[in-house]
Amino acid sequence: MSTASPLAPALAARALRHRRSARRLTAGQLADFRRAITESQAIGDDRGYQRWAGIHGLPLPISCVHNDELFLPWHRAYLYFFEKSLQDRVPGVTLPWWDWTNHIEGVPGPYARRRADGRKNPLFDSPIQASGRVSPRQARTTRQPGDPDELPSAAEIGAVLANRDFLTFQNQLEGIHGGVHVWTGGTMGSVPTAAYDPLFWAHHCMIDRLWYLWQLRHPGAGVPASLLGRALAPFPMTVRQTLDVTQLGYDYAAATAAAKGPGRG
Amino acid sequence: MVERFTTAPIELPPRDRPFERADLIFYGLDHSGASYEARVFIDPRGVGREADSSHRAYAGRFFIFGHGGCFGDVGHCDIPTDPDPFDLRPSHQLEPATQIVTVTDSVRGLLERGIEAAKVTVVARTEGRAPNDVLAFDTVRLVSYA
Repeated sequence: MSTASPLAPALAARALRHRRSARRLTAGQLADFRRAITESQAIGDDRGYQRWAGIHGLPLPISCVHNDELFLPWHRAYLYFFEKSLQDRVPGVTLPWWDWTNHIEGVPGPYARRRADGRKNPLFDSPIQASGRVSPRQARTTRQPGDPDELPSAAEIGAVLANRDFLTFQNQLEGIHGGVHVWTGGTMGSVPTAAYDPLFWAHHCMIDRLWYLWQLRHPGAGVPASLLGRALAPFPMTVRQTLDVTQLGYDYAAATAAAKGPGRG
Repeated sequence: MVERFTTAPIELPPRDRPFERADLIFYGLDHSGASYEARVFIDPRGVGREADSSHRAYAGRFFIFGHGGCFGDVGHCDIPTDPDPFDLRPSHQLEPATQIVTVTDSVRGLLERGIEAAKVTVVARTEGRAPNDVLAFDTVRLVSYA
């Protein structure tokens, strides 16, 4: 893997944050994440949620990369910069992933409830700016989820992860990714509006995590060299800079727990 | 654009050439319209619009995450037909897609029944009230891997 990140290794290690399963967040982690999304949604300028959601789709230009050899690197860069904008609101907060291979509940609990902690749940839906709507009446995001048993299975993911060739792996993973968009329905079911739904970020965090797992499983394989210098517009990042998540300051954890030490006083 | 399409018969791998995996690869898929699920059937006698994974000819499926129409002015969604090798801009958003459906078990089953070539039917299903005539592709190829 490349180590072309502007972060020095020591700094990257010190700043490393863990992305966690949406179903395994502690109450405090979930509260922090909800606060970050709420504050992001309240900002109307280029630091706020609407700007980040709009990069993927409407308003034009639609910048996302699909059906293309840069699908995974582009979305890794997208999540990275969006997560950074959330950390500007709540330091240390990270994007959770939606493990849709767990068919128990479909949309994960933190995103499925209209209200949380006695107030509106910012993960349930989001406003859509006027220039981001497909129709004038589409003021907020909606979902029409299918049967949870229709979501991709762990066996399907295992078969995709077994591919040694990056482009084949990426193509098959993108196909599965599209199926989850269709399964969720509503705003998520269409490229121009998908990223306005807060669930979008958890879905793509899962996709990014699967690429990370594929990288661990196939350390000798990788992105074709011809792609490494490609830019990931509009982000100031190349494919090479997306290859090592720890150089981007995050890692994926099945779960995390911590306890206070005696202090250094 | 169509809702359902059946190919001419495609030759299956020779019976004396064992394979580990067989894929149907769809090239040139249009993704400019509504998102949809495409159900794929091999040797598809009796496959209707509502056929699903319980049908004996069902081989797999793929999904198209669609653009849902054009939101620009005239020409905005026209794909360049004469690419310039010195054009370093990202490719057009609507460049056709490729989808791979692994159909190993289906192909093995057909070979066991002595079938040497089979048609492939693809049926598109959109969500909600969107019309189902969203399917368009250039070619489908059956590839087996030893």
